[in-house]
Amino acid sequence: MLLPLPEKLWNRFTAGHLLNRAGFGGTPGEIATLQSFGAKGAVESILKPDDDEDLFPVPFLLQPKDRFVYRQRIQAASTEGEKRAIRQELNLAERPSMIDLRVWWLNRMRYTSAPLQEKATLFWHGHFATSNQKVNDPYLMWQQNETLRHYALGKFPDLLKAMSRDPAMIRWLDLESSHKGHPNENFAREVMELFSLGEGHYREEDIQEAARAFTGYRIDQETGYFRDAPRDWDSGEKYFFGQMGDFTGDQIIDLIVARPECARFIGRKLWVFFVSDNPSEEIINCVADLLLNSGYDIGGTLRVIFQSTLFYESSVMHHQIKSPVQWLIQTTKILEIPLPDDRVIENALSSLGQILFAPPNVKGWDGGRSWISASSLLYRYNLAAYLLSGKAHISGGGGTKTALLPLQRIAPSADRFESALLLDPLVFRLFNSHISMKERGDFLTFLQNHSTPYTDNVIRDLLQIMMGTPEYQLC
Amino acid sequence: MKTPQEQTLHTRRQFLRTSMLGGALASTVPLFLEKTFLSLDSMAASTTGQYPTGKDAPILVVLQLAGGNDGINTLVPFGDDTYYRMRPKLALPAKQILGINDYAGLHPRLTGLKDLYGAGNLAMIQGVGYPNPNRSHFRSTEIWQTASDENVIESHGWLGRYFDSCCQGSDPSVGVAIGGQTPQAFASIHGQGVAFTNPEQFRYMSESASDPKSTDAFMREINAPAPDAAHGNDGENNGGSIGMVAGSPSTAGDTVEFLQRTALGAQMSSDKILAITRKTKSSVNYPNSALGNSLNLVSRLIAGGLPTRVYYVSQGGFDTHANQLPTHDRLMGDLNGALSSFSADLKAQGNFDRVLMISFSEFGRRVAENASGGTDHGAAAPLFILGGGVKPGLYGKYPSLTELNEGDLKFSTDFRSVYATALEKWLGVPSEQVLGRKYPLLPFI
Repeated sequence: MLLPLPEKLWNRFTAGHLLNRAGFGGTPGEIATLQSFGAKGAVESILKPDDDEDLFPVPFLLQPKDRFVYRQRIQAASTEGEKRAIRQELNLAERPSMIDLRVWWLNRMRYTSAPLQEKATLFWHGHFATSNQKVNDPYLMWQQNETLRHYALGKFPDLLKAMSRDPAMIRWLDLESSHKGHPNENFAREVMELFSLGEGHYREEDIQEAARAFTGYRIDQETGYFRDAPRDWDSGEKYFFGQMGDFTGDQIIDLIVARPECARFIGRKLWVFFVSDNPSEEIINCVADLLLNSGYDIGGTLRVIFQSTLFYESSVMHHQIKSPVQWLIQTTKILEIPLPDDRVIENALSSLGQILFAPPNVKGWDGGRSWISASSLLYRYNLAAYLLSGKAHISGGGGTKTALLPLQRIAPSADRFESALLLDPLVFRLFNSHISMKERGDFLTFLQNHSTPYTDNVIRDLLQIMMGTPEYQLC
Repeated sequence: MKTPQEQTLHTRRQFLRTSMLGGALASTVPLFLEKTFLSLDSMAASTTGQYPTGKDAPILVVLQLAGGNDGINTLVPFGDDTYYRMRPKLALPAKQILGINDYAGLHPRLTGLKDLYGAGNLAMIQGVGYPNPNRSHFRSTEIWQTASDENVIESHGWLGRYFDSCCQGSDPSVGVAIGGQTPQAFASIHGQGVAFTNPEQFRYMSESASDPKSTDAFMREINAPAPDAAHGNDGENNGGSIGMVAGSPSTAGDTVEFLQRTALGAQMSSDKILAITRKTKSSVNYPNSALGNSLNLVSRLIAGGLPTRVYYVSQGGFDTHANQLPTHDRLMGDLNGALSSFSADLKAQGNFDRVLMISFSEFGRRVAENASGGTDHGAAAPLFILGGGVKPGLYGKYPSLTELNEGDLKFSTDFRSVYATALEKWLGVPSEQVLGRKYPLLPFI
């Protein structure tokens, strides 16, 4: 079913498509480089990139041991007023952390030479959707992000086990307050409903029994690391998926991933995120087989998908609604500008509905059409206008400056004497795809209303119009 | 093949384009767009009835308490010893409860709701739920939003189906949700309904262009779908397709069409909404909370005469698994403040009699508290109905605290009876075509 794409069908459009979906897009030059590797070589280059970790130093985050000292001081304080003062001190100490952390990750997406690793990390962040709204500790959120990155293209069962021991997750789904004799069902439910099997593939009793196995998981307050509390683990017999045993949490996970529903659930989510909505049963089964036969090797499964003819069908290419993060990173990449100021980013991702480290709930972002409402669509148009002009009409844009658009690189002087000569390279840069005759006609009409050679201002307005379209929301 | 209507539209488009290039007709553009939109919509209409519309028509406000509100600590069964036995840490002292009768009363922070009850503006339905309750937030929210049976997956929302079957040809702002995302309850075939948080950002800001007028005109043109393109017959070239690999029939044409409709709806409704919010102010102070701000905005849009039938607002944070008391206390305080201000504001406007508000939450919470000072996901719960047209009272019966279903309260009123009542007796439309079958109507209106 997932037959490889013949090399003769590999071209700049397919290369652009691969870079969009396996990463965050790129300039025509970057696409040309990827194209030169050939279909097979391009996928390999995306799967085996250089390590560039050192380029992205982690921002200052309040360390667990320092937070621990604050906590102790709060406990020791004798009056409510004193406690409040220390809490304020703590808030002040960590206020910029979440913004710094988000901007750190976005810059990593923007400049990494390993875009698939970041894209897959974003996928898993949506899958194991954990929010700092409840975790309330940027250091733990960063730690979780690194864990997701580490396992992003590895084996899913390893990732699932790592998540059950991840301090941010432990706090997010109340594993901290799950004790022998008093298990909290929150994690046990979500691990099956949202992380592995999907609703309807387990019984309420399975949740209750699994919850007993997921006891004794703690966060060490001084180090911020996972701590095993064996005496708080319920060592009794559990009846889970028709089997009896004194299961540990890891054994529960092994039983879960052995079920074909798990492979289908993960396979479907991968397909929807990287390829297209509503995959057929046939496709889901095919991806599920790839996962089961490889011990859930995510990178290996993605290799087959990215090389397949199906991935490059005309109904797939340029047919996915960009997520807000995709929109932002891809836009800055194709315009060859850095990310805007922190405040602009914060306001934009909040208005567009994708605040990193703060997904709306444990189900993550719904994606697809849910990214688009009348207001978010208008916001995207306005954000494009802001990035092009640097003029402040969006919240957070006041008093900030946008780096000048490298208009000579985007629209060289030599191209500015004729409307089609100017337009067609811009169409490829912005859409990586052909567009309809109607739209092309509209853009040409706009240009033909101005005299040649076209000025920077005309080109900037044209880009604003091209980006303020339904088409530009797709990749 | 084109219908005469489409051909007219096409001619209008051509006219529109040439006019705009002359830069002359900018102020009439919205009117043309509106006509385009209405024509597109009526072409798509399958059944259209005449239902109340216009400035004096009734308005429904839906309030979602997201996360699963603890109904037991909202409408408190303080007359029942079991309550105190099952909740040694979380039970609220009987003397603090705002008694409605000898058995049940409101959370101490709901003073304004108690007053509204006394004034004859509040109804409470006890034990609302549905058969085979699902305890997943997402699935249960979906069930409430789509009004589907527990074992049926339905993608369109109950309000979306109301828009589809009873509001064809209406302005897209027939449904307004305050928030970043359109709620699933609005999901519909024709994509009516808009969602936004801040009206000042709910518009296309072309000022930043070096030639704002021309840029604006082109933006409006490009974001008004051509009738032919919107129906997928783009003639010479299939938009977006590369045609390099023989593919299955594209469903993504629908995605482009969806984006185009959204763009056009946004353009039209943003002009109207902005005109209203810029000239209308509330006479009442609201709590400075997300809910307070949302209801304040709704009240101003109602005052300004936006042709909206359904508003949707939400309050989050009800998933109180641990340390529930202070959190729930704060939420109840916020809810009380926001609804009190909203009612006072609508009364001052003279619109209170036109508005019916229904609250809901995806589920109530378990009767017994858990070991973390919180409560886990439950089932049946009470809901509030507020407005000038309400027949006040406490409806249904309080579910037994001892005869439970898997530790949870049993429902006695199906939530779809509440929806059916609102549709039939308030919005004045037949409920069966929206809900798929008949449900017993309730006497709260």
